[in-house]
Amino acid sequence: MIALIYDSLLKLQLIVFKPEKLDWFDELEEEILKWEGTTVQLHKFGGTQFNFQNRELGHLHSNGVLDILFSKKIKAELMADGKVSEHHVFNKSGWVSFQIKAYTDVKRALELMQLAYHRAQK
Amino acid sequence: MKTFLNKRLLGFIIPNFIVITIIGINKMINPLSGGVLVFSEFVILPILMGIMSSWFWKALKVKSGSLVGYSILNGVIAILLSFIFLGEGSICLIIVSPLIFAFVITGAFLGRAMFNRNHKTLNVSFVTLLLAIFIVDSISEHHYENMVSDELIINAKPDKIWKNVVAFEKIKSPDQYWLFKVGMPSPMQTTVTANEIGAGRKCIFSNGYTFDEKIVVFDVNKNLTFDIVNQPQDPEIMGHIDIDRGQFILKDNGNGTTTLIGNSWYKLHVFPVWYYDLWAESVTRNVHLRVMDHIKVLSEK
Repeated sequence: MIALIYDSLLKLQLIVFKPEKLDWFDELEEEILKWEGTTVQLHKFGGTQFNFQNRELGHLHSNGVLDILFSKKIKAELMADGKVSEHHVFNKSGWVSFQIKAYTDVKRALELMQLAYHRAQK
Repeated sequence: MKTFLNKRLLGFIIPNFIVITIIGINKMINPLSGGVLVFSEFVILPILMGIMSSWFWKALKVKSGSLVGYSILNGVIAILLSFIFLGEGSICLIIVSPLIFAFVITGAFLGRAMFNRNHKTLNVSFVTLLLAIFIVDSISEHHYENMVSDELIINAKPDKIWKNVVAFEKIKSPDQYWLFKVGMPSPMQTTVTANEIGAGRKCIFSNGYTFDEKIVVFDVNKNLTFDIVNQPQDPEIMGHIDIDRGQFILKDNGNGTTTLIGNSWYKLHVFPVWYYDLWAESVTRNVHLRVMDHIKVLSEK
């Protein structure tokens, strides 16, 4: 619950200082929900969780950090390209983090989520 | 369009009406609470309010930014209703507002997620659980006491400081603490009826309110302890906090300076304490420091 409250405070901060970011997050969610078999739910640590057939693909915190689960091999490739960073907590897993700072990052976030989605489909 | 507008409005009106009614009924059937505001009134009810609003707004496909904005508006309405119907003070409402906004927003997003999935059994179970927590919390005993201590070095010996500790003339320096600047009363003056145990002491605040105190320890140049026997019936503090005891300890440092320690003991009647005690400690600390800084100025003259 504390994580959900923290995420709400981040939303409160966004609505004051960068309200357009909430629209970007909605856009990302709407695009992902167009992919067959995807659903969203609240993430246990705050933010929006994206699922494919009830398995988590990733989640977006309200500070703009998108966490996505890949295999360690794909993670290594993405890290080598400098496209993502280590997950902000679980840095020894396949989780990666991508920070949405500008509107152009939404497109990149969608590409990463698509990669996770195609991987999950296999 | 008309239905949409109505649903939007109902998302503000109905949750606020239900929540203020629940608080009213709770006060009626539980009059012994004596104004104690429990955890669930600041946490569970705002979450329920957010969930209820999301139910009305589910067909409107409200964007996240609007949902946050609407939730803030809902919180503002709830705060205004508390001001009108529950007689809460404006400073109290400033203090409570971040908590209300955070929980209403949380409830609104919880509600949106719940109604998107539309798992009716789960949704009903969750709301029932929240109501059960509210009822159990409302009828449970709540008790919390704390002590705040501050210290200051004064460049004077205890015998020069003592008389300024027992009583002092009006503080004329401007308030520094932001809550005092926005209208919270700050300590102004202290008077005493006699220099002995059992004597009456008054701590007068900037709005004229007075704390009546009784001296219980009068150890000259060392320890002044007083019990608060009557505190003002101010809506900002009434039923929310009881200041029980105050104390000044003087420690001679042996080098011409004295360590002045100010202690206060209080009972808090608003919950959750992890939130309200932060404020209570901050206010108490700033009351201490305003008085102790004044004692320092008077004693170092």
